[in-house]
Amino acid sequence: MITFKHVSKVYPPDVHGLRDISLFIAPGEFVSIVGSSGAGKTTLAKLLIAEEQPTRGNIEIGGWDITRIKSRDIPYLRRQIGVVFQDFKLLQKKTVWENVAFALEVAGETRRRIRETVPHVLKIVGLEQKAQRFPYQLSGGEQQRVVIARALVHRPKILLADEPTGNLDTMNTNEIIDVLKKINAFGSTVVLVTHNREVVNALHGRVITLADGRVVADHEQGKYLLPT
Amino acid sequence: MLILTSTARIFTFAWKNFVRNAWIWLATVVVLVLALLSVNTLVGVNAVASSAIGVLEDKIDLSVYFKPGTPAAVLDQARSYMASLPQTSNVDLMTSDQALEAFKQRHAQDPNILGALDQLDQNPFGASLVIKARSTDDYPFLIQALNNPQFNFAVESQTYDDHAAAIDRVRQIAASIRYFGTALTAIFILFSALIVYNAIRVAIYTMREEIGIMRLVGASNAFVRLPLILDALLLAFFALCITAGIIAGMIAFFDPRIRTFFDGADPGLQSYYLVHYSQLLLFQAAAMVAVVTLAAWAAVGRYLKR
Repeated sequence: MITFKHVSKVYPPDVHGLRDISLFIAPGEFVSIVGSSGAGKTTLAKLLIAEEQPTRGNIEIGGWDITRIKSRDIPYLRRQIGVVFQDFKLLQKKTVWENVAFALEVAGETRRRIRETVPHVLKIVGLEQKAQRFPYQLSGGEQQRVVIARALVHRPKILLADEPTGNLDTMNTNEIIDVLKKINAFGSTVVLVTHNREVVNALHGRVITLADGRVVADHEQGKYLLPT
Repeated sequence: MLILTSTARIFTFAWKNFVRNAWIWLATVVVLVLALLSVNTLVGVNAVASSAIGVLEDKIDLSVYFKPGTPAAVLDQARSYMASLPQTSNVDLMTSDQALEAFKQRHAQDPNILGALDQLDQNPFGASLVIKARSTDDYPFLIQALNNPQFNFAVESQTYDDHAAAIDRVRQIAASIRYFGTALTAIFILFSALIVYNAIRVAIYTMREEIGIMRLVGASNAFVRLPLILDALLLAFFALCITAGIIAGMIAFFDPRIRTFFDGADPGLQSYYLVHYSQLLLFQAAAMVAVVTLAAWAAVGRYLKR
């Protein structure tokens, strides 16, 4: 599903974001990518959604080599990868329903498809009763669930969550992780970028540990190994 | 179906964005209107200057005064010869009797002058030819033509030089207006382009979150770009409409007032716009569309790099 072959990323003049990373993530996996600040987690996430291009190496997603992806093809890649960020990125003047529908509108989906899809994904994240609320009327965890719902509308094969629980308390964090597990159970590959030790250890899943731009550990039943 | 849906959505997004950034757009429209007004003012001034030159040229003639007592045969020969020249538009012969009569009529209210005239034994006025050339450039040739030995011995004087100086002056002023007006228009067009560019950048800055989210969730560059370009075109449309209204008002105000300076003749402002406005509007619309589209395209492009 996701393949990194000897990928390096160097920011001018000589800041190394990633150094010769090679890894493979199979379809349906739930992978945690951990590391301290500056380890290269966010660079890896940006490479996955083609926000950055690697300096060396190749990246493939579902057999599609996105290493030198053309600008006009990026939207199609991003419709296949749902993205969730720490800072939510919700439109404050739109309701929950409108925020989720927005992702379908900009992709040119029909009204009928929007009417069918939005309630469905809101049900998955447990927000069907709050569809007409505005983001400021929701808790942090609920806002993040709206973001996840929005990421799901294109039925992505991959869900990339970059520090999704960074702004949340323990209860909301658990809610978000439960939603991610649920999505994973439906068959989507989930890539969770985090430095939350409790979350990683509770998942009992594959953990890829980055340090100084390199993969220093990759365990199927991994733990958060880094010192806090 | 998908194209129709996307197109409709692009228009909807453009309109919502236009309304949301109304104050920024309004300021931009004002500047665009000022730029268009400067162009139209330049065109109007040129039209009036051309009209003024036309009026002055129409007043120009070459008056040839003959010595008193010049035989009618010589006068007829002079008139026929000058009329036969291709450079001549019209020749009027005024005999000495007609000149005396015209003088009396002109001074009918002045008994002193009429009394003085009565004291003279004979008609003091000579005959005259009033010659109009086809073009002001032809007058030097006609002046040369008056040296014809068949009648030049009877010529007492001629007048042309005073008019020539006035015409030259008006032409110089018109040329200056065109020169500086063109430079001013070019500068205003450049300023307008920069202001539209910046206005759109500011608008995009206010929308940066929405644009970021649009790109994050897979909106194509065209879907992000087109609503903003439509907004810019809408600006151009409003600016053209407002300018057309102001121009119509200005013509209605100024045309009758300028007319007094032309001794009641057509100053050429209204008539020029009636004849040329469709062309002028088309040119301005094309220029405005090109400028705003390029500006919007470039401004949005800065935010669409990956």
